Order: sequence, then structure tokens, then C-alpha cells
Amino acid sequence: MSRRWGYVGLTAVLAVVVAVWAVPEVMRHGYFGRYVGASRPGVDPPLPSLSPDLFLFPQAAQIVLLAVGVGLLVQIYSTAYLGRHPRYRSYALVIVLFLLGMIAVVGTTNLWVLLVGWEVMGLCSYLLIGHEWETAPARTGAAKAFLVTRVADLGLVMAIIVIGETYGTYDIVGAQVAQADGTRHATLIGLLVLVAVIGKSAQFPLHTWLPDAMPGPTPITALIHAATMVAAGVYLASRLFFLYADSQLVLTLMAGGAAVTMLMGALFALTSSDLKRALAWSTVSQLALMLAAVAAGGAEAGLDHLVSHGVFKALLFLGCGCVMLAVGSSALSAMGGLRRSMPVTFWTMTIGFAALAGLVPTAGFFTKDSVLHAIEVATDGDHGLAPGVARALLVVALVTTFVTAAYATRLWVLTFLGPVGADRADRADHEVREQPPAMTGPLVVLAVATFALSVGQPLHLGTGLLSTAVAGAGVATVLLLARRGSALDRSPAPLTSELWLDRPFSRWVPAAAAPLARGVVDLDRDAVDVYPRGGAALVAVVSRGLGLAQTRNVQRYATVLAVGVVVIVVVGVVLR
Amino acid sequence: MIVAALAVPFVVGLLLVLGRRFVSGRAAAWIGVAATTVSLVLVAAVWEGREGVSGEVDVAWIEPVGARLHLGLTAVSWPFALMTAFIAVLCCLWLVADDTSPALVGLVLVIGASALGVFGSLDALLLFVFFELALVPMWFVIAWWSDADRDVAHRAATRFLLFTVTGSALLLVGIVVAAVEGGSLELTALRPTAVAIVLITLGFAVKTPVVPLHTWLPDAHSSAPTVGSVLLASVFLKLGTYGLIVFVLPSDHLGVVAPYLAVAGSVGIVWSALACYAQDDLKRLIAYSSIGHMGFVVLAISTRSEAGLAAAVFGSVAHGVITGLLFFAAGSMKDRYGTTSMAGIGRGLYGRAPWLAATFVLAAVASLGLPGLAGFWGEVLSLRAAYDVGSVLTRPVAWTALGLALVGIALTTAYVVRAVRLLAQGEPSALEADRDLGRREVVVMGALVAVVVVLGLVPQLLLDLYGPVYVGVAR
Repeated sequence: MSRRWGYVGLTAVLAVVVAVWAVPEVMRHGYFGRYVGASRPGVDPPLPSLSPDLFLFPQAAQIVLLAVGVGLLVQIYSTAYLGRHPRYRSYALVIVLFLLGMIAVVGTTNLWVLLVGWEVMGLCSYLLIGHEWETAPARTGAAKAFLVTRVADLGLVMAIIVIGETYGTYDIVGAQVAQADGTRHATLIGLLVLVAVIGKSAQFPLHTWLPDAMPGPTPITALIHAATMVAAGVYLASRLFFLYADSQLVLTLMAGGAAVTMLMGALFALTSSDLKRALAWSTVSQLALMLAAVAAGGAEAGLDHLVSHGVFKALLFLGCGCVMLAVGSSALSAMGGLRRSMPVTFWTMTIGFAALAGLVPTAGFFTKDSVLHAIEVATDGDHGLAPGVARALLVVALVTTFVTAAYATRLWVLTFLGPVGADRADRADHEVREQPPAMTGPLVVLAVATFALSVGQPLHLGTGLLSTAVAGAGVATVLLLARRGSALDRSPAPLTSELWLDRPFSRWVPAAAAPLARGVVDLDRDAVDVYPRGGAALVAVVSRGLGLAQTRNVQRYATVLAVGVVVIVVVGVVLR
Repeated sequence: MIVAALAVPFVVGLLLVLGRRFVSGRAAAWIGVAATTVSLVLVAAVWEGREGVSGEVDVAWIEPVGARLHLGLTAVSWPFALMTAFIAVLCCLWLVADDTSPALVGLVLVIGASALGVFGSLDALLLFVFFELALVPMWFVIAWWSDADRDVAHRAATRFLLFTVTGSALLLVGIVVAAVEGGSLELTALRPTAVAIVLITLGFAVKTPVVPLHTWLPDAHSSAPTVGSVLLASVFLKLGTYGLIVFVLPSDHLGVVAPYLAVAGSVGIVWSALACYAQDDLKRLIAYSSIGHMGFVVLAISTRSEAGLAAAVFGSVAHGVITGLLFFAAGSMKDRYGTTSMAGIGRGLYGRAPWLAATFVLAAVASLGLPGLAGFWGEVLSLRAAYDVGSVLTRPVAWTALGLALVGIALTTAYVVRAVRLLAQGEPSALEADRDLGRREVVVMGALVAVVVVLGLVPQLLLDLYGPVYVGVAR
């Protein structure tokens, strides 16, 4: 027991150190970066190094505090959730390593340090999804997550290389200084960054790894696959926004991808039969909303929503963990009627669902309002995005708001209200109880934070009223359906099978890779190896030919000798 | 000092081979550790700075052909020499066991000293002599101490020898032509003609190896005993890349071979990654992965740029430590389970031998070039050099190579993940031979892990030798 709290203590120390560093920066508005290094466009960049170059941009302080805060809560939660696991030690240590990676991403101006943190997070995600490596879904999910994100990360590697070659520096601030002489290669850099962001933040068409990462322990899902790592993609998009803000193509692609992803994720969440998977799709959809804000030129709104989403989605996942532990499954069919038996989980998750649906006065409402406002502002066409695209994006975002409110309500109803689900009703002896304080405590903290974060948030009356009306309609629709006795399980086949978008990753690529690899091995043996073997055969033929001459027959030797002498003499005479 | 760094392991090695009946294997290994440690310390101490030549020794040798005993270490060769001496120490430490043959320790010392001689030579003929000197002992190591079937081992060893000797013949002709043209055998004075450059490139390309001259490698690496595989991968392949760096990279005629090197190198990355994906034998998999890593080095060399040179040296050194670590880990598995077939070793090593599995996974992710570990910097600098095109390639060639290299990195991730899944993860199939790392293994692998992590987190240690390194900006 005490050993487990040792890891909590370690995380707490890290959190305090980060807090001392970051809290003073939270209040700072505006930008005080002073860059004294040399950076000029067009010169060869220096060779890379990992000099830490700690620096917090505005809003980065909030993100790093979110990371260590949720990280600490997750460590506390895990003492109860996973404390008896034989591999608890490696689990807890990888969480600490993960937090260091996140700090490296958010707290530096050196792009190489950012990249190292970015990849360390990916590795930790891989290790933690595969924590239960005895089970096939965990192995598959881990491998898929690592492969997809690493392939996408090549975009970031190339983006950093191109930034270096373009602006002569690997420093974010240095690039800003050098950019004053003119933006160059905006589209190339933007596309490369976009590839990295799409992979890390699980956006269409690379989104399928995130739902498949759900076999990982639930606290890990809350920390890595909801609050921090996947959100780092949004952070990167907004941090490097200045480098590609001029590129209409990149902004349009980003907005289009975000529009597709947010609606698709919300619809999948609406039809999912598994609470955890539904929340994963919800994360995909919410990340798309943040990226939409970035594409519309409202990076600040996007990052605000990142922080509030991080809090309420961590709350929802941790609550989901409590429920899963209580009923022994994450299937919605095993839930229902948990309101009385798990009161703390019920009330805190209700707050979380309200924030997800965007209801007043949770932080989710205010930050989503800011995002919608930012998109609305962009419809004037002065913020990079074409007015038509921005208008379409706004419509999609409002439709998504409706669907989001609907699925949040549906999940809430199916989990806590309504009749006991069929899969649990069979097991009559199963007594559902509230979880210990180590697990419910973090829920309460996060629920309080969900309200606390709305303090001081801006309110945009027009979009606020509109989104409240839309969200209210979504909630009301589902509640009405539930009251009429609907089981809320209408799910058309294309949506439950998630539009078969996973096929390329789960079937086609593996199906193509194996024969290709075998073909290469065969070619290596039978084709490439021909010349040494051909050489050997040639040598054998030549030596047999020469061997014929060596017959041990002295008369023949003498004959050859004599003929040779005659030939040489004749040649010598003729040539002279 | 540099003479002592070569002579001590060489003489001790010869004595061990001759006096193999008079020492026990364990004692011989400890003697080897002492000799190689002396050599390592001397190589480290000889360093005088990145400008000029460190520890220069220049004595007349074969007057008629103008060959001189000219030794010394430069900013390019010092990292290679240091890595070689370090790997030699670890190989001897690895041999500290009761069943070690003293002659094997002796041969390891001779091979290590000869490789050091290659990196320390400033005279082309001397370099060639050391180059050849390392070959024959390696034949014995593969053929006599292989764990594989005797016939298979003999064939693999002979194949290795024939390939390399053929390469050396081309190399020698190339050197002679270049020396005649330049009027001296000094490395810096060589003026290879276009023909000579082609010959020299071919000679070193066999050794590196560059696809399609690589078919000797998987057989040799997988048949050799653990220390043999480590020496082959960490040291022998570097003789090839080092040769390309000092002979081909500075040549005026680099442009003749550069496009072929770039394309062959990057095709090799993809080719070897695909081959790795289909392997069951762990040692064969590691051997094929080496071809890919050498592809990055060759691609970097073909660009001729500051970043390219740094990439080539960093990539070579990083490959030396990472692949050494991988082969030691594979050797540990071989010692336990008597096989390196992944199906034979079985799944769930995380549960059966946690530290061995963790070391293997760390080496594997270092090998796939995870940022923050040593393997990354060589690769990323190669990518940068290719993106930058450099001074000899054309943009279509360089960017084609860049694209292939990126595909290769993705495929590398795929086969590493597959190997981790087959070995480390999965329902543990416990075997009686399961046991975690012993003390000797912890020391050897721990040292390599430390180097992999330190080089990954502080790449400046090496990159400082090749150009201005970005240092943090004061705010």
C-alpha cells in the first residue's frame, strides 16, 4: 500500500514543481518572448540539439497544469483501480514518463524537444494501451495506435526539417522572428503539420486507432486518450498556426476534416452500444471541434475548449471506470439503474455529461460557445477561411452540438436511469456498490473544476443562445423518447459498423503487407543472390575447363608445349 | 599512445590464441577485458580536439611504394574508434564464462585491434592492410564458434569471406589508381579518378552492405556466435561506411556514384524493412535491419553536406551500439532457449523474463528511431540532408530517396511492433529455461543502454564535432 502512494508522491512532486513554474504564467496575457538567437530565412540551420529552452506560451501554462493535475488525480485513482495489479509499478512509472513527455511538448520553444516529448507520449501510450498484453484486443489496439501515430508523426519530423531549412532555426520563437521577413513554404509546412495533427488527434481518416485504444486501463484513457496526448495535436496546430496561416489550402483542408470528423464521431457515439467506446468517439468529435476553431483562426478558443474538455472528459472516463468496475463490463446493456447505488459517480458524471452537452453554467458551455463564436466570426472571410467554408463549418458544428447533446443524454439515461440492463439482470447476486474514496475523490475534484473553469470565461450572447437552444433540443428529444419507453437503441448498420472506415487498417494493409514481405524474402534468396551463385557456377565451369588441360598425360603436355613454342615463334617472325 | 592502443589488444590477442592451452576461458576473457579497457582509455585520452589530427604517428614503412606507418585520429574517425574499443570491451566481458574458448577471446582482440587500425590509419595502404587483417580471424569466429550447424556455418563464413575479399580486390585496384594519380598514399592526398571511385565504392559497398550486394550478411550474422554477430554488425559494417566517408565523400568524382548510392541506400531501407517483416529468426531479423540502417548512412554520404557527414557518423555509431545491444539480447535468448526462432522462444517474455524483455523492447524502439534515443539523430539528419539535396545530387533523385526513406521508417515501425508482439507480449508460454538477466548480462547491456539513452538525449556530444550546434537561446 505505502509503495503505491510512493508513486503518487512522485507525481505530486512533479505537479508541485510544474505548478510553481506555470501558475504565475497563467495570468499573463500577451506575449513577452525575447529571442536573442540568430535566425535568418535561407541560412543553413544549426545541427539539432536538445537544449531544453523551457518557455510557456500564453495558454500553454493552463495545458501543462491540466496535464499534471489530471495526471496526479489519475495516479490517486489508480491506487484503487489497479493497485493490486502485479505490474502496477511499471504502470505508475510510465505515467510519470508520459507527464514528462507532455511537459516537453508544451513547455519548450525547441522543436526537437517538442518532437521528443511528442514521441515519448506516443511510446507511453503504446505501452499503456498494451498494459494487459496477455489479451489480444490490447495487443492489437496498442500496435495499431503506435503504427498509425508514428506514421503520422513523420509529418512532424519533416515539418521540423522544412521549418529549419526555411527559417534557419529550430526554435519556435526564432521562426517567428525570421518570419517577419516574409512567410515561405506555408502550404508545405502546413500540410506536414496537418498530417501529424490528424494522426495524434485521431481525425478523419486516421481516426480509427483511438476507439481501438480502449482496451487500455480506463484511467489511462482518461489521461492520455482524452485529456492530454490526443489534445496535444490541437496544441501543435495552434502553436505553429502562424507558419501556415496564409495557406488557404491548409486551412480549408483542416476545416473540412474537422467538419467530417466532428459529425461522424458524434453519430458513432450516438449509436455505440459500449459506454467507453462511445466516450472515445465523443473525444474524436470534440477534438475536431477544437481544430475547427484553429482553422477558423480562433486558436485561443480552441485551446480554451481543450482545457475544459480535458477536465470534463477525464471526469467522464474516470466515472466510466467506476461504473465498469462495479458492473464488470463497459457494455451499455450491463448498466442502467445505477443512480441510487452509486450516488457520487452519478452526480459527478451528470455534471460531466452536462458539460459535454454544452449546458449552462458548466465550462463546457462557455468554451464551446467561444469556439462557435470564432467560427461565426470567420464567416466574414477576413480570417483566412473562405466565407462559404466557414458558414458550412458553422452549420456542421451546430448539427454536431445537437447530436452531442443527444448522445450525452442517451448515455446518461442508459447508464444511470432506466431499467437494469439485460446483461446485468442475469447476474442477480451481483451487488453494485459505490467505489472507494480514492476513486470517487478525483471525480468530485474534477466536477468542481468543471464549474470553476467557467469563471471569467467570455460569453457571446448570440451564439450562446443559439447553441443552448440547439443543445436543449437534443436533450429534450432523447428525454422524450426515453419517456415514451424507447430503448434508445436505434442503430442503423452503417453507423454501428462505423462506416467500415477501419477496413483499410484492420484488413487491407495487413493483408497486403504479409505477402509483400514474403515476396521480398523470396526475391532476396532467388533473384538478388543470383550473381554470387552465378559467379560460383562460372568459376566451376572455368575450373572444369582448365582441369581438362591437366590430364597428367606427359605426352599431351609436351605436345601443347611444342605447339605453343611453334606458335610463338611464328607469331614473332610474322610480326617482325 | 595510439600505437599502444592498437598493439596491446593485438599482442595480447595473439598470445591468447597461441597460448590457448595454458589459460582457462574465464581468465582469458578477463585478460581480454583488461587489454581492451587499456585500449579504450588510450583511444579516449588521445583526443586533442576537432581541428587537425590527434595522436599523430608518422614513420617510414615501405619506402619503394611510399607507404608510411601514418596513424592518427580525426573528428571523423575518433567516434568510430571509440565505439569499436567500447564494443570490444563489452564483447570480452560477455565472454566471461566457464565455457568460453580462450582462442575466441584472442580472435576477438585481434579483430578489434585490426578494426581500430583501420580507423586510425592515415595511409591508404596501411588502412587496406588492417582492413584485410580483420577478415581472416572473422572467418574462424563464424566457422568454428557458430552455434549453428557446422556445414551451414562454414558455408556462411566462406561466403562472407569471398564477398569481402572480392570487394577488397576492387578496393585495392581503386586505391592503387588513386595513389598513382595523387602521387602519394596519404589519405588526404589521394586523387581517385572516376574509375577508381567506382571501384572503391563497390569495394566498400560490399562491406557496408549496400543493396543488392548484401546477401552475404543475413547468413553470416545469423550463423556467428553472439560476440561474432556483435562485432560484425557494430564494427565490420562500419569499416564499409567509414571507407565511404573518407574515400568517396571528399572525392571530386562523388557525383559519378552519388545517385546510385542514394537510390540503392534508400531502396535498401524499404527492402530490408519488408524482409524483416517476414522473419522468424530474431538474429536474421536484426541482420536485415542493419541493411536498412546502413541505407540511411549511405544516403547521407551521397549528399555531401555538413548534415550528411554528421548523419553518416552519428548513424554509424548509433547503429553500432543499438544493434550490439539487440544482438546481445538475442544472444541471451539463445543462451536460454537454444534458439533464436521467435516461435521457439515463445510469447510473453514480459512475464517470463521482464528485464530481458524490457531491454529488448528498448533496443527495438531505439532501432526504429524513436526520438530521444540514439537511433533517431542519424536518421533525421539523413532526411534533412536528402531534403536539402546537397551539393552533388539532383532534386528528383534526392527527394525520391527521401520518400523511400520515409516509407522505410514506417515499415520499420511495423516490423518492430510485430517482433515485440511476438516475443514480449502475448499469453506467456512458460519454459523451464526462463530466467531473467544475470550479472554479466546486466553489466554489458546496461552499459549499452546507458550509451543509447545518453547519445539520444545529448546528441551534441557527437554533433559538436561537425558544425555549429543549436544551443539554447537566452531569454
